[in-house]
Amino acid sequence: MVKSLKHIALLALAVCATAVAVTSCNDNCMGNSSGIPLAAFYEDGQSVSVLNLTVYGIGAPNDSAIIRNKAATQVYLPLRTSTPSCEYVLDYNTEGMPNDTITFNYDIIPYFESRECGAMYNFDIKEFAYTQNAIDSISIPNSMITNSDVVTIKIFMK
Amino acid sequence: MVATVSLPLRAQEQRKVTPVKPATNKVLTPPKGTDEKIIEQYLTGDTLNARAQERKDSLARIYPHYPTLTELAVGLNFGDALLMAFGQKYSSFDIHATLNMWNRFQPVLVVGLGRAKETPSDMNFTYTGKLSPYFKLGANYNFLFKKEPQYQLYAGVRLGGSFFKYDITDVNIDNPYWGEYGNSFALKGVSSNALWGEFLLGLKVGIAKAWALGWEAKFHGIFKEKKVASGKPWYIPGYGTRNGNWAFGISLYYTIPLSRDSWPIIEKKK
Repeated sequence: MVKSLKHIALLALAVCATAVAVTSCNDNCMGNSSGIPLAAFYEDGQSVSVLNLTVYGIGAPNDSAIIRNKAATQVYLPLRTSTPSCEYVLDYNTEGMPNDTITFNYDIIPYFESRECGAMYNFDIKEFAYTQNAIDSISIPNSMITNSDVVTIKIFMK
Repeated sequence: MVATVSLPLRAQEQRKVTPVKPATNKVLTPPKGTDEKIIEQYLTGDTLNARAQERKDSLARIYPHYPTLTELAVGLNFGDALLMAFGQKYSSFDIHATLNMWNRFQPVLVVGLGRAKETPSDMNFTYTGKLSPYFKLGANYNFLFKKEPQYQLYAGVRLGGSFFKYDITDVNIDNPYWGEYGNSFALKGVSSNALWGEFLLGLKVGIAKAWALGWEAKFHGIFKEKKVASGKPWYIPGYGTRNGNWAFGISLYYTIPLSRDSWPIIEKKK
């Protein structure tokens, strides 16, 4: 009996050693490393690709664009962290089709997601406005923008 | 020769059994190794009581009966101290009292303190879990209840709880698209609480007279925790980190025997 318990004790030590090994391993972050809205384009309720699209933020340094003259079904629209609002322009690069502008006003919320994803800002969208040249409507079902890699802004095209 | 006379048996009258088999007239002999007192009872003809005592002794050999209050064990969980030597960035130290009842059921009370400090090299923050208390209440079931209490293999359940505070500091966030670098914030003195449950499997082995070592593997999950707008805590005192459902513990026990005179004598196999 005592012998078998000694064997079990050795096994327990082995289990502890495994625990040490386990504690030195880390899980990966399953979401983004910051709160960022993902916008997707729809037409007649179906996902649609917008051709020759350029998306840029008004006031972004060096006139940098998120995408430039490319077809896109989805696009990330990072929000400003120094001010509680920002504007994006959707340029369709098509003659006779004026640009659309989307404006977001939001609260910036400091947030600790996890050890793996880190600390970041989440955004609570308070209001948004848009022009309706090619856009029919915009829907934001959940106003809280987190690091989850899911569609948070639905843009319905005409 | 035995003469038999049929008489009406009154209900109150106790039936007597003689040590003689009527068919053979053979005198029943007690089995080898029977206690002398029982043999005496056989010889005096009190077979009923002798057999009852014999059966009781036999059961006691197979199924040792420990007193209600068998022993009290006080333990110190130092598992996290060992794991910190291997780079773990948090620790929980607790003292637990286990009351061993019948060498089988064991109510357990755990009180402890936990803290954490972690600045991951590849991340953008420092997490400081302030020294905070926790408690656990539960019970064990010792599968080796027929053996000496010095050696135990048990399963247990615990209900744990903690009120704690933590800081998230040294946060550095870059927003390259908008050219916003070096954004920083701090979440200080965030207050939270949690309630969790544990299933565990443990082993306790006597190492010296009153001293024993114990190992526990725990599977745990959070039942309830305070919702905080700024996120969820990484470390919960007494629970550990929130990623993963497994935890391990190593404890040193000091055992105080209770009702020692009532403990059964367990014959060791040669």
